[in-house]
Amino acid sequence: MFLNHFEYFAPKTPAETLELVARLGSKAKILAGGTDLMVVMKAKAISPDYLIDINGVEEFKGIFCEPGKGAVIGTNTKLAEIQFSEAIQEKYPALAYAAGEVGSSQVRHMASLGGNSCNASPAAETPTPLVALGAKVVLSSISGERELPLEEFILGVRVLDLAEGEMLTKFILPEPKLKSACRYAYMGRRDAMEIDCVNMAVTIELENDGETVKNIELVMGSVYPRPLASKEVTALLLGQKLSDQLIEKAAEAAQGEAKPIDDIRASAEYRREIVKVLACRLIKEAYAAAKGV
Amino acid sequence: MKKLIELDINGRIYEVAIDARDLLIDVIRNKVGLTGSKKGCGDGDCGACTVLIDGKPELSCIKLAIASQGKKITTIEGLVQESGQLHPIQQAYVDHGAVQCGFCTPGMILSSKALLDRNPNPTEQYIKHELSGNICRCTGYKRIIEAVEAAAKVWSKEGV
Ligand SMILES: Cc1cc2nc3c(=O)[nH]c(=O)nc-3n(C[C@H](O)[C@H](O)[C@H](O)COP(=O)(O)OP(=O)(O)OC[C@H]3O[C@@H](n4cnc5c(N)ncnc54)[C@H](O)[C@@H]3O)c2cc1C
Ligand code: FES
Ligand code: FES
Repeated sequence: MFLNHFEYFAPKTPAETLELVARLGSKAKILAGGTDLMVVMKAKAISPDYLIDINGVEEFKGIFCEPGKGAVIGTNTKLAEIQFSEAIQEKYPALAYAAGEVGSSQVRHMASLGGNSCNASPAAETPTPLVALGAKVVLSSISGERELPLEEFILGVRVLDLAEGEMLTKFILPEPKLKSACRYAYMGRRDAMEIDCVNMAVTIELENDGETVKNIELVMGSVYPRPLASKEVTALLLGQKLSDQLIEKAAEAAQGEAKPIDDIRASAEYRREIVKVLACRLIKEAYAAAKGV
Repeated sequence: MKKLIELDINGRIYEVAIDARDLLIDVIRNKVGLTGSKKGCGDGDCGACTVLIDGKPELSCIKLAIASQGKKITTIEGLVQESGQLHPIQQAYVDHGAVQCGFCTPGMILSSKALLDRNPNPTEQYIKHELSGNICRCTGYKRIIEAVEAAAKVWSKEGV
């Protein structure tokens, strides 16, 4: 199986990259890890005229994590680096865990965090915890930069709020609040090399009393065209001290919001059941972790 | 249009004429002539084509050769020691009967090396997790995991 012919560029700096992105426009594709791009090019689903390989640009890589100051993660940071980063494991365990569950070791050493969001697959692993953590993306072009919550960047299946001439350059993660915790879980047929049939992340922040919910964000993946942040769970649980009954009610509300489809991986009905199971489990886990128990 | 590039494979520089679209696995096998690396699925799923790039396991079937310039590529041929002796991981695979047809073995061994380089004292769970991208259709995984555990013991003693 041959790829189509294309012209290959390997810029060394962000400025060179942005100049190429501006000049080559929609006929070009950015090549990060290639774990999505090469596969779709092999299948002839797309045949770009130009590839812009960003692996030679140091500025697009790396995790910058200072105490008290959140984190900045370059778009081309490999998922394996996030999986094994002690700073990320400590501050954002849900993200480290999700990154470590993508594909296989080889895929994680190739695949980038930015590619996982830019590919805009509803089943993607890392956008779910990133949205739950309140991550923002930085979109750059030769004329400047803009910041956007990740939630507003991914619009649908393979659809991004990305203008021609723009590229994703980094993620900005806010510092986790005191008395808060985020947890991630997924369900698939087997552990490895599996595309999730449902994934989910929950962030809970507690009031000073250490019991009352000050903020809760429940985000679902694979059950909607983009990561879906539940409005109803937040509405139901805000200002509450959580009980098993209340958690079950919230999980049912999340079930109602999910719009899963039938496909080869699972039926819509099964997915809806799993939403409830994961929601109950994750709300309990995040609540316990936020309480520090 | 063909382009002349240099690839550093197992410490030797190979000059090859390639197209931008050529995949690393095809160049390694057909142009360089190192046929240890296997092409199975060609889609990133089976791990037979695994090579180490700057020490990290990558899938050469979804990697462009042109994007591999300036990196240190290690294939299974690069593991044999100068004396001609097998690498301790290779030896452990042989000793534990972890090789049957051998098609998955080069990729499996390179993934094993990568996981041991990162963590020389792995748990069984960790071995399984990090080897899950290498599919074996005949030996089964039990002996493979035993071989990696045995190699880990040699590793922590001697360092390899
Ligand atoms: C065997 C296998 C198993 C997999 N398993 C999983 C899994 O379990 N979970 C999961 O979520 N994914 C999985 N994937 C999909 C894939 O590995 C991830 O989506 C990965 O994070 C993509 O990153 P990449 O760097 O390889 O992207 P690339 O393939 O390089 O790029 C993906 C797309 O995003 C664009 N792009 C990349 N970077 C930028 C940027 N900075 N700005 C603008 N556009 C950009 C590219 O042009 C391309 O269209 C799997 C893939 C394979 C081959
Ligand atoms: S041949 Fe590369 S993963 Fe199967
Ligand atoms: S030994 Fe035959 S596939 Fe693994």
